[in-house]
Amino acid sequence: MAAASDLQAAYRAYGAQLVRKAERMLRSREDAIDVVHALFTDLIPRWNSSVDLPYLYKAVTNRCCNLLRDRGTRARLLEREHAAAAPVGRVRMDDEVVGIALIAALAEELDESHIQVLVARFVDDMTQDEIAEHLGVSRKTIGKRLDRIREAVVKLREVA
Amino acid sequence: MSACIGTPISWPRLERHASGPTDATVVQHVEQCAACRACLDEIMRDVVALPVLAGAAVAAKRARWWWVALPAFAAAALALLLVWPREPHRAGNVALLKGGGEVTLGLVRERSGAIREDATTFAAGDRWKVVVTCAPGHGTWVDVAVVEAGAKAADHPLAAAHIACGNRIEVPGAFELTGKIANRVCVRVAAEVAPARDLLGGDDTACMTITPE
Repeated sequence: MAAASDLQAAYRAYGAQLVRKAERMLRSREDAIDVVHALFTDLIPRWNSSVDLPYLYKAVTNRCCNLLRDRGTRARLLEREHAAAAPVGRVRMDDEVVGIALIAALAEELDESHIQVLVARFVDDMTQDEIAEHLGVSRKTIGKRLDRIREAVVKLREVA
Repeated sequence: MSACIGTPISWPRLERHASGPTDATVVQHVEQCAACRACLDEIMRDVVALPVLAGAAVAAKRARWWWVALPAFAAAALALLLVWPREPHRAGNVALLKGGGEVTLGLVRERSGAIREDATTFAAGDRWKVVVTCAPGHGTWVDVAVVEAGAKAADHPLAAAHIACGNRIEVPGAFELTGKIANRVCVRVAAEVAPARDLLGGDDTACMTITPE
């Protein structure tokens, strides 16, 4: 995935797919557009050619997680998620589609590197090899992080 | 429809296939897998209305030629300063930007998909966006603050953002108003760095009052 030399070109080329990615996490098109627009607006003064699609994917994941950490926003998005049609969910965690509530709960428990793996695997449906390439770490590391994520989910369910 | 016949094709790979060169593996897979085909169709059908990224092109070009034009700007600014009448009155929703003229605050309310640009009342679930209007060619930092009537402390629902000026430029992000008393939604502007989050009310601040329904 090559870097775009120009911010406007990158916005045109990647904006739509980044919005769809954010929408998969937030289940809200309006909020997804806000996230992507704000990301590119913030990049205006510090854009450089090293900003590539993997970087933008990671940045969108972080920004969506930050939104979900805010209680008010999370409650509003959860309300919308319940009202919307169930997502397709091709990759599931123990037969459960990973949605807003689980991402938000895990975002309280896990660090950014684990959240990136969680979202790449269960929201973007990436394979472990794809995630390893996307994040620039070994597949073994991805496996370990997925184990840690599953442990955190088990712990959450025990508490619930 | 959720079960894939094998290993699902990831969304990024489907996106690449949809927008770039044909991926033979994807073609072969979606021929047999209804779940992944539905995802690809979703991408192909989707139309995203991206807001204009105001200022990106302007910012890039400005850096190249503004040194050349600087003397002309300085002369024009001096002439304007000498002949322009002093502003007698400033409306509440107008802030003064040091070196950049006026910044006019506007609010946009979204309620169940209905957009209003003249709304002055709020209810639970409304989403609000801030828009500002200022002279093109300038940039400004904008920080949004919400103050409940009678309160001294302000909430800052959005991160301070630097925007390129223009007509009704959206400040990134949206927020909600809650409670049962009026709220003043303010923006504080600054040219160089993000404005300080201290007491509001100077020339650099513009506010509008929104009342509950």
